[in-house]
Amino acid sequence: MAEAGLNAEDLALLSESAAQFARSKRTTADTSGRIDFSRADWSQMARQGWLSILIPLERDGLGLDLVAASAVARQLGRHARPEPFVAAGVAAGKCLAASTNSPLWNERLASFMGGKLLTSLAWQPGGKAFDHGAGTVIARGAANGRRLTGSCRLVAAPASDAFIVTAHSEDGPILCWAEAGVSGLSLTIERCVDGSPLGLLQFDDVFVPEHDILAGGEAAAAVLREVVDASLVVNAAELLGLMEGALALTLDYLRTRKQFGVTIGSFQSLQHRAVDIWIELQLTAAAQNAAARVAGNRTTAPLDRSAAASAVKARAAQAALVLAKEALQMHGAIGFAAEYGLGVFFNRAQVLAPWMGNAAQHRRRFDAISRGSATPQSNEVQ
Amino acid sequence: MRFGVPQERDWNSLDDEYFRDIIRFEFESHYPSYLRYPPRRLLWRENADWFRRMASKGWIAPNWPAEYGGMGLSGPKLLIFLEEQERWGIARYQDHGTLMVGPLLIRFGTNEQRERFLPPILACEERWCQGYSEPDSGSDLASLKTRATRDGDCFIINGQKIWTTMAHDVDHIFVLARTDMNAKKQEGISFFLVDLASSGITVRSIRDIAGHDELCEVFLDKVRVPAAHVVGQVNQGWALAKSLLGFERVSLGSPKMPEYGLQILSRIAKACGVEDDPTFRDRFAGLQIDVRHLGDIYHHFAARIHKGEALGQDVSMLKIVATELFQKIADLIVETAGPLAGLAGDTIIGDDTINIMAPFYKARPASIYGGTNEIQRNIIAREILELPSR
Repeated sequence: MAEAGLNAEDLALLSESAAQFARSKRTTADTSGRIDFSRADWSQMARQGWLSILIPLERDGLGLDLVAASAVARQLGRHARPEPFVAAGVAAGKCLAASTNSPLWNERLASFMGGKLLTSLAWQPGGKAFDHGAGTVIARGAANGRRLTGSCRLVAAPASDAFIVTAHSEDGPILCWAEAGVSGLSLTIERCVDGSPLGLLQFDDVFVPEHDILAGGEAAAAVLREVVDASLVVNAAELLGLMEGALALTLDYLRTRKQFGVTIGSFQSLQHRAVDIWIELQLTAAAQNAAARVAGNRTTAPLDRSAAASAVKARAAQAALVLAKEALQMHGAIGFAAEYGLGVFFNRAQVLAPWMGNAAQHRRRFDAISRGSATPQSNEVQ
Repeated sequence: MRFGVPQERDWNSLDDEYFRDIIRFEFESHYPSYLRYPPRRLLWRENADWFRRMASKGWIAPNWPAEYGGMGLSGPKLLIFLEEQERWGIARYQDHGTLMVGPLLIRFGTNEQRERFLPPILACEERWCQGYSEPDSGSDLASLKTRATRDGDCFIINGQKIWTTMAHDVDHIFVLARTDMNAKKQEGISFFLVDLASSGITVRSIRDIAGHDELCEVFLDKVRVPAAHVVGQVNQGWALAKSLLGFERVSLGSPKMPEYGLQILSRIAKACGVEDDPTFRDRFAGLQIDVRHLGDIYHHFAARIHKGEALGQDVSMLKIVATELFQKIADLIVETAGPLAGLAGDTIIGDDTINIMAPFYKARPASIYGGTNEIQRNIIAREILELPSR
């Protein structure tokens, strides 16, 4: 299952096609400020092959690496797109790629890659801990399957057709398939500050047949670790794109806005602040590129890959929030107006930075890994 | 003409890790352990033996082409050499000759200049310092007033240089001096190679607030310099000086000092018993991540150099990031040491002996020398972000 890297030229082409897609779309919030992406746009992304990037060749995917997936995410971020590429593309895809090569899973994988089946990973327990094994969904043994009880919050792409659920069982974590609307499963939508939805899934004795268990035990823990690490790295790329979008607007503003008879970008105090956020962006870009190579390299030890993933998430989350706040301040009042374009970057950064763990949580995970205790206690990670 | 000693191997044909083993073995077996990570710049008499050994092996100029007596290392090999040097804490000598004068002459010098100046640099017989700053020309270097006037086949130089690192411990200086008083300020400057033993030169050291005597003033009073020792064209010295600064900013942007700072920080934390304190852990992890990512961006620039790409002004960022990160680490060392931080020199803390304030005093001037970080920010704002000037 080797993943291949694109050469610089093909990578630039991929990036450009993602940029064209992202530039061509306009998604505006409804009167209540809600933003929901369209399934038609999702299908278009599927037709471009972006949902197949991380799927191995032998499962009919493109067999490409995290650098390629990052190029797409970065462009989506650059235009503050609402499509949940990381949750419903990267995380879901990597889970499905770990399924058994059977007709049932092959069909699901094919529908996923075709954009017809929207599915998302439900793993973040209560929005509280950052710990792969933890979960408040409990799987109990039942005849020919399991029964799930509990809840899972902050599930991205809650309009999914099905969820890949992480649950605790007597034999360790399991990953299982639960279709939306299945008996006992209820969904509540919570809205984020950027208008995007996150789901609260409640499982009230939901039956999962044996064939819907994607992985269990140690295999499930390993799959989950890899899925989470890949998602963190690509999430960092999307944050990087948001930073680029916000910085470009800010530099334009500094070059054109006049006060006191001069362009405000000629003030040294503003120049130096602009340089500092530009540096944050350059560092994040170099770190993200390196992390995509380390975290996607299967010959590297899993813990080193996780360390690289957490390090880059810590950097990107912090840098994006700093840059967003500085961009707002340098714009002055206009930046706070919803009609002006900065707000979409600002608000989306507030959502993507803490999603899957904020900077402080990932510093803690990085530190725990560096010091040799692989799994930080979940109660330490508030 | 043959330069230096012949190389024992074609280094670039070796496997990277095999090459690393050879370098590492040499450093670990022969570099005196009491000279590792010294808290100040060493004098030539303190580390001459080591660098003479490097010279006799043909290893003194890893960055020069083999035809000029260097090791002729390709990009990745040179990086390995420097990494191993840094990893083992090998102190630098006053190496402006190998870092700057040599590459400059190889690129822009005349054959006569190469034959005169390269061999003694390779043999460590002539060592160099940099005569740029003046009392009234620091950040605004191009306003420099040291003046060189033509007199037959010589120039006569009058003026004063300052903040010249280790001028009292070397024998040559390269000097920027004004040769055209009427041209725009950048366009009338020339680049001179000067023997510090020339009549009319006085060197005086300046004690700094860390108690060291590394910086100097250099007075030039009617100093005669052969016109043949001008590098490049007369009045074109500013561009040459700038081409060297790009390189300097890469080397000042190396993660070496921050990495060294983290090691000290880790030892201090252990010695002071705060290594498990959650507040300390959070800050330490943040700094570790910062050093890791500085390494990522440093390698990005290093790779560009190795591919032979000219670096743009964006390289200024490396110096800013590396020096300010080193300062943050040094500040946390000081804070972690608590009241012990007032103590000078090697200090007993718990089971360890640590010079607490050495990283701090090393870190402070780092954002000043080599072009202040404010000047670096000005450069990025103007050249990269294209923000308007007033």
